[in-house]
Amino acid sequence: MAEKEKRGLKRRTFLKMTGAALAAAVLSSGCSPRTPEETEGDVTDVITKEAVRPLAQGEWIPSGCAGCVSWCAKEVYVVEGRAIKIRSNARSLVHRGNSCPKTHLALQQVYDPDRVKVPMKRTNPRKGRHEDPGFVPISWDEAAEMIAEKLMELREHKETHKFVLMRGRYTQLNQLLYGRMPAILGSPNNISHSSICAEAEKFGSMYTEGYWDYRDYDVENTKYVLVWGCDPLSSNRQVSHYLNAWGDLLERAEVAVVDPRLSATASKANHWLPVKPGEDAALALALAHVILVDGLWSREFVGDFSDGVNRFAAGETVPEGLFEENYTYGLIAWWNLELKDCTPEWAAERTGIAANKIRLVARRMGEMAPHVIVWLGGGPAMQVRGAYTAMAVHALNGLLGSADNTGGTIRGASVPSKSFPAVDDYLDEITSAGRKHKKIDQRGYKEFPALANANPGSGVVTNRVADAILAEDPYDVKVVFAYWNNFNFSCPEPERWDKAMAKVPFFVHAVTHASEMSMFADLVLPSTHHMFEQWGYLNQKGNGYTHCWLARPLIEPVWDCKDPETEVVWLIAEKLAAKGFTNLLDYCKSIKDPETGAEPQTGLELAEFACKYRLQPIWDPAEYVRGDRFNGWEDFKAAGVWNSPKYTFKTKWDDFGTASGKFEFYSLTLQKALEAHAANHNTTVDDILAICKYLATGEKAFVPHYEPPYIWGEEEEYPLVLVDYKSRMNREGRSANCNWYYEFKDTDPGDERWDDVAKINPRDAAKLGLAGGERVRLISPTGALECTLKLWEGVPPGTVSKTFGQGHWAYGRIAALNFHQRIPRGGNNNDVLPADYERLSGSSAFYALTRVRIETI
Amino acid sequence: MANYAVVIDLHRCTGCGSCALGCKIENNVPEGIFWCDHIHQTTGVFPEVKYTFIPTMCNHCANAPCVEVCPVNPKAMFKAANGLTLHDVDLCIGCRLCEEACPYGAIFYNEEEPHKFWRDDQPLIRNLTASPREVTERVKGKVLPYYNPDRDTTYPGIRPKNKVEKCSLCDHRLSHGLEPYCNEVCPSAARFFGDLDDANSKVSQLLRKYPHFRLGEELGTEPKVYYIRQYNP
Repeated sequence: MAEKEKRGLKRRTFLKMTGAALAAAVLSSGCSPRTPEETEGDVTDVITKEAVRPLAQGEWIPSGCAGCVSWCAKEVYVVEGRAIKIRSNARSLVHRGNSCPKTHLALQQVYDPDRVKVPMKRTNPRKGRHEDPGFVPISWDEAAEMIAEKLMELREHKETHKFVLMRGRYTQLNQLLYGRMPAILGSPNNISHSSICAEAEKFGSMYTEGYWDYRDYDVENTKYVLVWGCDPLSSNRQVSHYLNAWGDLLERAEVAVVDPRLSATASKANHWLPVKPGEDAALALALAHVILVDGLWSREFVGDFSDGVNRFAAGETVPEGLFEENYTYGLIAWWNLELKDCTPEWAAERTGIAANKIRLVARRMGEMAPHVIVWLGGGPAMQVRGAYTAMAVHALNGLLGSADNTGGTIRGASVPSKSFPAVDDYLDEITSAGRKHKKIDQRGYKEFPALANANPGSGVVTNRVADAILAEDPYDVKVVFAYWNNFNFSCPEPERWDKAMAKVPFFVHAVTHASEMSMFADLVLPSTHHMFEQWGYLNQKGNGYTHCWLARPLIEPVWDCKDPETEVVWLIAEKLAAKGFTNLLDYCKSIKDPETGAEPQTGLELAEFACKYRLQPIWDPAEYVRGDRFNGWEDFKAAGVWNSPKYTFKTKWDDFGTASGKFEFYSLTLQKALEAHAANHNTTVDDILAICKYLATGEKAFVPHYEPPYIWGEEEEYPLVLVDYKSRMNREGRSANCNWYYEFKDTDPGDERWDDVAKINPRDAAKLGLAGGERVRLISPTGALECTLKLWEGVPPGTVSKTFGQGHWAYGRIAALNFHQRIPRGGNNNDVLPADYERLSGSSAFYALTRVRIETI
Repeated sequence: MANYAVVIDLHRCTGCGSCALGCKIENNVPEGIFWCDHIHQTTGVFPEVKYTFIPTMCNHCANAPCVEVCPVNPKAMFKAANGLTLHDVDLCIGCRLCEEACPYGAIFYNEEEPHKFWRDDQPLIRNLTASPREVTERVKGKVLPYYNPDRDTTYPGIRPKNKVEKCSLCDHRLSHGLEPYCNEVCPSAARFFGDLDDANSKVSQLLRKYPHFRLGEELGTEPKVYYIRQYNP
């Protein structure tokens, strides 16, 4: 300890010294550096000191990383059966040879001592956070037998719909476990995690340009980037590509970042626009206002007044019929309904961003149009009233003509792949009837339109499932199979999940670690790690390409683990067949090796055949579609990644796939969806918006518009708005048991090693009588968490900023401060976030969601 | 003989920490020890506030205070002909004078057997999860399950207790024509390694092209790690 203090003192002294040196930033001139003088007597020629010993003869084996949704192609260095390094698979045109920091943590995941080694069965029937499950080891055979028994009971009672499959992270083989198995078992319930990700963000591009997906960005050719509520150098998508591209980007383009905290990307930007939480729409609408008033919109894309005279003036209505739109729809309606009054001064009052700054950004974007990226992240979208904000932000790409254009926002390509066979031939009377029940997540209920693909009830409402289970609405749930998820940690108000999972009579959890959710399981099935121990593939876009990488077992599974997406399905299928229900096994056997026609004989064979089956159009020259060419399965396996052709611009302009075919500023697509949902409930769109917590009425429902933020808690009682965001070291929720996570926690700007800090502005601290370094409790209207307080200037007054990632009370010896006593290390942001929603998309709200107060402990 | 140096382009650096993480992996660096590290700093008052990040490492100083103070003969901390500051564990007596002398905090002492975490033989849940030691034994690693044997070719793969350890600029890789691993893993192409005596080397070119600085320049240590451009645009 004394030594540590000594070292610490030395480092502090050094930091002080360098701080002064850096602040002065005195650089020497560009002359050549002095050749150092070598000290005679101290010089040894290390190379000749002893013979050079050979390095290990390992092998770099292709795989991929699903640590975040960048989904990068990787190679793993295997030496004598051990994985010891990870690097990018440089064949990928999405990220080329570039990687990221958090991928390396996968080594500490796969070799984590706290991984579950064998299937384990609960012996304590009482379920609760503080109940010891009394897990005991059992064989895979016994585990599969237990599952099959429960599934057969559901069949016997004709209640197969009471089976629920929950998915978290996945590979594209999930089409078997998540897509097909529930259907064959007779359940409508395959529930994904998607709406705790960023579905409301997709809403922005869906109801403007008809694209329900995350966008790609032509960073290489852009001249202005407006990053909005995401942190591409830390999280979001294609981190590895952007980490490499950023330096060049800054030399070529101007970058502004809208974020209510000084993010990693904001620190590497020309402008930081610290918008007040929840006021993003005001900023977006004011930018649109200036672009129109100043005549900076794209004539090519949007069109012009027929006489060329700009009639957009603040507060002035523009008559319909004077403006001839080219590839857009509803500009004048949008102006008249909303934009005409959205002046920079109006926005400045709400956003905290000065009017002249708003004008500056709008004008610079206008000058650079159409080579402008307005980079919509989850921040402005995943708010209770975030749907129209997402539209407002993305609509800027329409005004600037940058949608589907050089240097603008672009899309991914589809990957040539085959779906698994249809299930129709594998259904019977019982399962067909079971599938007709409503899904468990209440999608399509009046207050949950969940308009994913312009259809009411087409999106998932993940976090609502806990309430649905508790209320038995639409019905009670009897059997849950969940994998690679941890909703008892990752969903707001997680204690509802504790109650819900305690209520489920039979719960199977297939995961790598004894997570929070596992503590409620009747069976825990040890899962393989996707990067090292199993088959799988994923596709992702970036840099104007889409790639598809293949993972394969490249080391022996460290323990008695199986892949839930294939091997576990096979085991269950065999047991069900032994009990007389052969449909699932018959289905699995229909996934044959495309080369030999052989049926799989084991779960592991099924896994490989499943990859070969789905990806045949990639590796089989006879089925070649586009992109990289391969001479067969082994050739593709050796490369490990397929690349699409480079993106072609402006192919969507003639038909965006919206109701009007145009880029919609007045969304006919949304109108159709909302009216359909209202009709389902015999009511009006106004009524639907009101129950979804929106204030707008009439036609404003169909245009991007301003709504005051819906934030839980009154300012008097809860003075600070919580700004929640993702750690750079998060491998989603799964890296908190790696010690490197904590050793590198300070790479999140403002954060500290081996600590979990809530950051407030020093001015607020003075006002509230708080000091940095104190242990504090953050209290919201729905819960509390404990962490350390830090004073930091990178946080605007009025807010408290904290990364999501820590606060596990289970998962492992590092993740939890005391696993057995359920004492978390740090605080889980979800413990203070209310379970509220952006209901039009079904998303959980995370941002501008709640106020908190801070108490010292 | 080469005159090795590192140039770090702060404009390209994204503060991601990959260099130091890669170093941990390549060199089997224990928890709490950072051969490769960083300094970060927040300056100004909201909203005029800047966050900067500077990757750091052993500066392989030409006038290395750590070498100067090393009391044994021959020196355990020594300058190699290629400009590297290297450490010979066999000669080291663990006096820690080098650690004290280094103005950059780049030398670390192992007061106990390093990698304490991985030497633990207690499982979290008996019969259901493993002990750290059990994992390493099962996969036939050495102390670490992901132990890199390459490190051991020029310096003990796991350093002994009661001795110091430090960055060798991946001398084991250099001997095989490979770059230091911190450079190789940098996704931002912000790190360059090369020979200052070669006018055509990338490092020489960069130092001619850009103004540069070194840490603690006024101390006269003549560091071999140079920084060009600014972190903030």
